Amino acid sequence: MNRILLTAALLGLTNVSLASAQTTVEFWHSFGDAKRSGWIQARADEYNKTHSGVKVVPSYKGSYNDSLQATILAARQGKAPALVQIFEVGSQLALDSGAFQPVSSVKNVDFSDYIKPVINYYTIGGKVNSLPFNSSSPVLYFNQDLMKKAGLNPKQPPTTYGGLIKACEKIEAAKLDTTCFGMSLNGWFIEQWMAQQGAPLLNNGNGRQGRATATNLDSQAAKNIFSFFKTMQERKYYTYTGKLEDWDGSDAIFTNQKTVFHITSTADIGNIRDAAKKAGFSVGVGVMPIPDGSKRNGVVIGGASLWISKGVSKPQAEGALDFALYMTNTQNMAEWHKLTGYYPVRQSSIDLLRKQGWFTQTPLQLVAFNQLTRTVPSPATAGGLNGAAIQTRKIMEEGVQKVLGGQNVDAALKETKARADAALAEYNANFK
Amino acid sequence: MLSPGRARPTPDAAENAVFRGRALPWLFLLPSLLILAVFIYLPALQTLRLAAYRANVILGTEQFVGLANFADLLSSPAYQQVALQTLVFTVLTVTFGLLLSLGLAWLASRPVRGAGAYRLLLIYPYALSPAIAGTLWLFLFNPEIGLINQLLGELFGVRPRWLDTPSLAFGLVTLAAIWKGLAYNIVFYLASIQNLPGDVMEAAEIDGATPAQVFWRVAFPLLSPITFFLVFTNIIAALFDSFALTDILTRGGPYTGHAGATTFLVYQLYQDGFVNFKTGVAAAQAALMLALVAFVTWMQFRLGERRVHYGS
Repeated sequence: MNRILLTAALLGLTNVSLASAQTTVEFWHSFGDAKRSGWIQARADEYNKTHSGVKVVPSYKGSYNDSLQATILAARQGKAPALVQIFEVGSQLALDSGAFQPVSSVKNVDFSDYIKPVINYYTIGGKVNSLPFNSSSPVLYFNQDLMKKAGLNPKQPPTTYGGLIKACEKIEAAKLDTTCFGMSLNGWFIEQWMAQQGAPLLNNGNGRQGRATATNLDSQAAKNIFSFFKTMQERKYYTYTGKLEDWDGSDAIFTNQKTVFHITSTADIGNIRDAAKKAGFSVGVGVMPIPDGSKRNGVVIGGASLWISKGVSKPQAEGALDFALYMTNTQNMAEWHKLTGYYPVRQSSIDLLRKQGWFTQTPLQLVAFNQLTRTVPSPATAGGLNGAAIQTRKIMEEGVQKVLGGQNVDAALKETKARADAALAEYNANFK
Repeated sequence: MLSPGRARPTPDAAENAVFRGRALPWLFLLPSLLILAVFIYLPALQTLRLAAYRANVILGTEQFVGLANFADLLSSPAYQQVALQTLVFTVLTVTFGLLLSLGLAWLASRPVRGAGAYRLLLIYPYALSPAIAGTLWLFLFNPEIGLINQLLGELFGVRPRWLDTPSLAFGLVTLAAIWKGLAYNIVFYLASIQNLPGDVMEAAEIDGATPAQVFWRVAFPLLSPITFFLVFTNIIAALFDSFALTDILTRGGPYTGHAGATTFLVYQLYQDGFVNFKTGVAAAQAALMLALVAFVTWMQFRLGERRVHYGS
């Protein structure tokens, strides 16, 4: 008995002494590559040097999915990491898990410097739940040399579906041995095109006023998107590897000059520019083409944000937030943008970059920035929230794949809506 | 099993080394049992329990639903399609995989110049991880820039869409799985062929048997124990190891009918359990797969006693 008491006392003492000496902030992220994880580690090292009371320990925890699951399991055992990077489709799931606390309740933070469409995505029920970190949106990439060969003006890339199809006709006539348009088949783009038309993807204010119970895939906006794929397929203007969400495969098709137009994330600007240089063509960047006759409402932010666990001590939570704010400060976000191509999430970072002459050096980036900063705030462009978002995204991809396989638009949309709505109902049933 | 009476030191018992007392054997078994309990039995029981719940590992919610998960799965057209696809895939990979590797092993074991090099080349894909193999195939069969379509386009003017034509994608994954399994099967066949009794084969040849007759009438029956072993390891491999290949090559797609054409049972389980976090449904699928494996094992023992020629 005495021994037990003694051990307990010792344990208690060491805990206390450790806590007073140093607060450890575990930071789990999903960047496995040396470039990005190295950057994070370097920021942690800087921070640790200047803050003697806090020790930030970043570690790579596998894919976004794996890391989310690992966090939840750790939280159940009371060993949650203080800071976790979670992808945007996992936001509702993270919120519902109850394992995290809103950043805005840890400490009062001035969020006015954050770019509106970015902070809007992560503001749920009036609270900023997580701190924006790596953010991107889709843009149009085009092969300037091939455009010229087809008699198109690379200074005026198509901005609408109709414009793209017209350009495709010219490319077809020029017989360049390339397909007009390619992009990875990804539900993220479908979500973007809904937002561009100002149409929420989900009911209940895009899942932001209450739990989403149905998708708006029976809307005209959705029909415009699916019909676009139908036309592109029928006229053989579209190609992809055939595998869903095959980012790398589609990039490779574009950089091998087998397509003239390509849509992918702004985060790839650097990689694609380098690959194009190697392949010997010059690449241009334009806004995402949208359905004809629609007002351009802008894009939804993609990427990931930083969440703070609920089950950690007050000093840990404050340390986590303080480090997250340091890592995403004006200077660091500008550097992060130059290194990776992700948007800097702060207005002041954009101003800094402009002052440094970044946009005259890399004019490609300017289009991407304008597309983001000119986004009209609304529930549609804030982005849809639902706990089964990973699944509904895939269901939409599979719906488009059926259209590409020859099914008619109405039947494909009907089936897609039924399946996506069933996934929402299945998720919501967890809360009964 | 271990009665105290038998533990008395009679000459017979001493020779058979029977343990004294009841506790001692259990003590020796304890480490194994503990490890099995913690890593196999408890998780298996936990899985069976979860199969009766609507559960989500992220939310931590659990609602008892009885057998509803099983009923939903078995009546769902998507799951039925996945099960059928798995069956066809398994039959194809096991049948063609074994026939092909037996043929190749037979040829490579002939006394020809450079047989060692052939054997090495046949075995090396075994050293590739399924992930690397999948990536290789993905590059080869990219419809626009893959090597295969460049060749086909030059020679015949066709560029098949390998990854989103359901039948082609299914065939491609099956072919990749057969190729990936070849090396393993060939190693076993080569070893067995080299151990075939030379006198029997020679006797057959002296009696005037053709090479085909020697193979089918003498060698093939003598190889039945290893074929039998390989059939079952290949079935298990087709059921479970197909995962990495499909994930990288097709991601289970293309979507056709009610499910992805190359979505097999284990990939469906992974999707539901670890991508969509539908833990209860995934547990029910795991239970169904457990039953399937139990059935396969039972078949193995039952058939093994009757039909396989183990020599004398």
